[in-house]
Amino acid sequence: MAEKEKGSTVNEAEKTLIRDISFCGVPENGSNASMVDVKDGKIIRIRPMHYDWKYDAKKDMNPWKIEARGKTFEPSMKTLIPPYSIAYKQRVYSPARILYPMMRVDFDPNGNRNPQNRGVSKYKRISWDRALDIITSEMNRIKEKYGPTAVLYQSDQHGENKVVQADHGAGRKLLRLWGGFTQQNRQPDSWEGWWWGSKHFWGCEPVGQGKQSNLLYDISKNTELLLFWGCDQETTPWGWGGQLPSRLSYWWTELGIKQIYVCPDLNYAAAVHADKWISVLPNTDAALYLAITYHWFKKGTYDKEYLKTHAVGVEKYEAYVMGEEDGVPKTPEWAAPITGVPSRVIKALAEEWASKRTTVVIGNGGPGIRGPYATEPARLQGICLAMQGLGKPGANQAKMIEWGLFDKPDQYAQPKPLRVPYLRKAYTGGHPDETNHPSFIPKTYVPKAILEGECDWWGCECETANRRDQFVHYKYPANGCSKIHMVWTDSPSWITCWNSGNDYVRAMRHPDIEFMFAQHPWLENDCLMADIILPVNTKLEEDDIGADIFSGQYNLLFPEHKCVEPLGESYSDYEIVCKIAERLGLLGEYTGGKSIDDLIKYGWETSRCEDLISWEELNEKGYYVVPTSDDWEDVPAGFYNFYKDPENYPLSTPSGKLEFEAIGLLEHFPLDLERPPVPKWVAKGISHEETIGTERSKEYTLLVCSNHPRWGVHSQHDDMAWLREIGTCKVKGPDGYLYHPVWLHPSEAEKRGIRQGDIVSIYNDRGTVLGGAYITERVMPGVLYIDHGAKWDPIVPGEIDRGGAINTIVPRNTTSKNAVGHAVSGFLVEVEKTDLEELKREYPQPFKRKFHLAAGTILESFVNL
Amino acid sequence: MKALVIDISKCNGCYNCQIACKDEHCGNDWMPYAKPQPDTGQFWLKMVEEERGTVPKVRVTYTPTLCMHCDEAPCIPACRLKAIYKRDDGIVIIDPEKCNGCGDCVAECPYGAIYLNEDLSVAQKCTMCAHLLDRGWKEPRCVDACPTGALQFGEEDELKGLISKAEVLHPEFETKPRVYYIGLPGRFVAGAVYDSEEDKCLEGATAILTDTDTGEKFTLKTDNYGDFWFEDMKGEHTYSMKIEKAGYSPSEIKDICTKKDVNIGDIELCRKS
Repeated sequence: MAEKEKGSTVNEAEKTLIRDISFCGVPENGSNASMVDVKDGKIIRIRPMHYDWKYDAKKDMNPWKIEARGKTFEPSMKTLIPPYSIAYKQRVYSPARILYPMMRVDFDPNGNRNPQNRGVSKYKRISWDRALDIITSEMNRIKEKYGPTAVLYQSDQHGENKVVQADHGAGRKLLRLWGGFTQQNRQPDSWEGWWWGSKHFWGCEPVGQGKQSNLLYDISKNTELLLFWGCDQETTPWGWGGQLPSRLSYWWTELGIKQIYVCPDLNYAAAVHADKWISVLPNTDAALYLAITYHWFKKGTYDKEYLKTHAVGVEKYEAYVMGEEDGVPKTPEWAAPITGVPSRVIKALAEEWASKRTTVVIGNGGPGIRGPYATEPARLQGICLAMQGLGKPGANQAKMIEWGLFDKPDQYAQPKPLRVPYLRKAYTGGHPDETNHPSFIPKTYVPKAILEGECDWWGCECETANRRDQFVHYKYPANGCSKIHMVWTDSPSWITCWNSGNDYVRAMRHPDIEFMFAQHPWLENDCLMADIILPVNTKLEEDDIGADIFSGQYNLLFPEHKCVEPLGESYSDYEIVCKIAERLGLLGEYTGGKSIDDLIKYGWETSRCEDLISWEELNEKGYYVVPTSDDWEDVPAGFYNFYKDPENYPLSTPSGKLEFEAIGLLEHFPLDLERPPVPKWVAKGISHEETIGTERSKEYTLLVCSNHPRWGVHSQHDDMAWLREIGTCKVKGPDGYLYHPVWLHPSEAEKRGIRQGDIVSIYNDRGTVLGGAYITERVMPGVLYIDHGAKWDPIVPGEIDRGGAINTIVPRNTTSKNAVGHAVSGFLVEVEKTDLEELKREYPQPFKRKFHLAAGTILESFVNL
Repeated sequence: MKALVIDISKCNGCYNCQIACKDEHCGNDWMPYAKPQPDTGQFWLKMVEEERGTVPKVRVTYTPTLCMHCDEAPCIPACRLKAIYKRDDGIVIIDPEKCNGCGDCVAECPYGAIYLNEDLSVAQKCTMCAHLLDRGWKEPRCVDACPTGALQFGEEDELKGLISKAEVLHPEFETKPRVYYIGLPGRFVAGAVYDSEEDKCLEGATAILTDTDTGEKFTLKTDNYGDFWFEDMKGEHTYSMKIEKAGYSPSEIKDICTKKDVNIGDIELCRKS
């Protein structure tokens, strides 16, 4: 491993640069520090970073180890990066890279705009000058005609983790200087059930997930049973923190801690770690939790004394569960046909949970988040934990991802570092905690707002809003504000990531939207709807500063040096906003006179580590490893303080206790049947009819299970050839196209005459999505499993998609009437074998679209070259 | 001499090894060790996935496979141009300079580890990243990228302890591989016992698996879910099974064949009248 050398670019020795190759897209969530070896202007390889490259582990790092039950666990001396970080040069050099500004061939800002053709039109190359001219004149025209709030700025995660060169939201400050805008608020995703539900049960601001402090240690010492419920720690954490969860999972087995996985699919963690897989139908977990508590009430096998001192509203909850309220006791026999779990297994699980110190493990997956009415299973999971003495040693809710989220000490599951590097001050982008009163729209409501011209909702003033914000009523257009007439996006992944992508397509084609422009590195997804597209660098083409905080092993701070020159005419997102600022005459105000280099150094100055390492030494060594804190073992674990002393360590609920009947919901939404004060099994309501046994389920007989994808982070990485060669990533069709896998149990496939490798159509009343059949025992009958995030490749935009973007046909309605989360898993579809030839005859044009055999749709697919 | 030891019980199936190998060799020219690997289609390290069992008794086993760098590698004598050689450290290299891409070695390798690159007219395979080892790297890319320690590489002597517990893939090929495997699983025979009248899982039932040919018996007690898993049954055998519990009529199942993993399913026991 050669040292960094100055000199000529030809035949130079390899240089090793350190980069954060993680994908949350929020500055204090950096991770996956990697070593990038470059030579002669090219990336040679990307590999794990070695912490002890320039430091002595013993002398400098105060290395930690967990000692429990006679065994020792030590972190690795390398970062544990996932495969798509190793393969990342494939994204840098992707054939889908946008290399120059482009404009829709049939968009004329001075003539016909043809919004109805968005998603179908091809693109042509234009100059940067022309692009900026049109963008700024459109902005000025629209401001003049409607006011600045007519601009909707879509500026939220996920994406590469960039700080100074921020990929999302660098335009917010500019737009404020310019006069205002309408902010698309990313309503909290991957936390829905906890955010809209559990916060009313146990507080835990701002996300509503349990207190995490020191839980890796607590589990290792005290837990007897781990229930992985909404957790695939071998998949989801990859993009956020790497593979420490995998190593821990093996170790916990070595310690003799039993691991049970409750999920519709044998997910990738269950596949290698499960002692038992309990298969449950998608989004029916609320019924399962209810039945478990029924069994506990009946047998008296729960912590009655704890509930007296730590909870309120228990009698109301018990009345519902025992059938006193609605005449239906929520017995295991009642739950069995709903959940697909035999009643005897429910009873055995209830008994095991009651007899062992049990920690429930979540990973931002499963019913706690992405299903209709997710607030109910999320709260019920908390209720089960409460009934067994939540917070006693070994009994908490542990998360396998986002360790250290939002810089909060109670989110540190791993051994506490001496200092947490903090890059927020140098960050130029939009942060999840930013509000934009009065004019904002929750992301889930954007299509509705545009298509219907008005809407109203509760809460969501930002992603970290307090529970009380959920009782505040908002509307669009806000008072004194305009309807939307222009869209600026730096996060063009709506279609394949959010609720009812087909509605979004229709919204972007609405004549009200006079102009839409996107900035992005790759020609994918929402970019295909834009009138103008601006080329963005990947972060490996930019200088920046980074920190690795989420990995759980050791925290790192490091300046990031450009690995290769920018491809084509691309610039960083921040540089692009500067260009627009300059045209608007606001550059000085926007940058505050700071250059990019100034900002990078400022990042170190305000990192909280500036007294631990000098700027000179940081640049000389290339990085800094933060030592472990000496007293990390003493940090009280999870809810322990509340468990021991609820009066002095109250929760942030109105009562300070665990609310089996939520006081805030009782006060503000007493008659809400979809998110009632006492959590319930809600089979259907005005927002959703997505369960088996309803009228719709006669026609759409399968329940979709759609998880965070295995081989990418949300909509990212879907063009990486080395991943697409893997069987669970793509299924090769007879036409050579790599289709998105659709998992079906052999019995479901046989019923429909579907065999391995067949091209199938998944459909409901919201549209159709194609996929490649993957017949497997890793899903239970009744389930259709498809990862979310596949690249949109429309056959008919708004109706039929070839790429496998399942989010185009997920429910359009939110979590529930008063909770604006999205509901994108646990919904009804049908599937049938597709005659590809017939489809090609009916829609010849989209099938003539060029695609790269390995990477899928690319620049050439949509551009007249 | 070098050896690679792969512990299947620690392989989580992340594919880092397969991907890191591509990262090193696709688009990178490492003459005189290797020419670039094509972007897709070759798998110098290939992850093999096996899904085992049926709902809900299912597992996935991941087995990274690669060139075994055999001490009696059949590819070496197969090459008419003598382009394949074994180094002092045991690593087998196909010399891209001498190779003319005839493909004879491809057919000769019983492990299917060699690929033909028609564009460059060379046969190609894993080089154990010899080009990196020769500049001071301690291990090849696959081992460096492995997050769980499932892959270990080094001097045979230092790995003696692990190697003594290990086996090779396809020992019947008799090529003396330098790649060793720990934890290659045998088949499982699993099921769940229950009492439908009382609607409960039967804990503490005895499951006796008898080899129909040898008469060898294996015994387990069911857990609180009524589950039993006979693990790691080596070879392909036929068994019969008897499930018994005091107070119940026993149940017998015949013709359990471990060609594949077996999930017998739910087995009902009825109370004796």
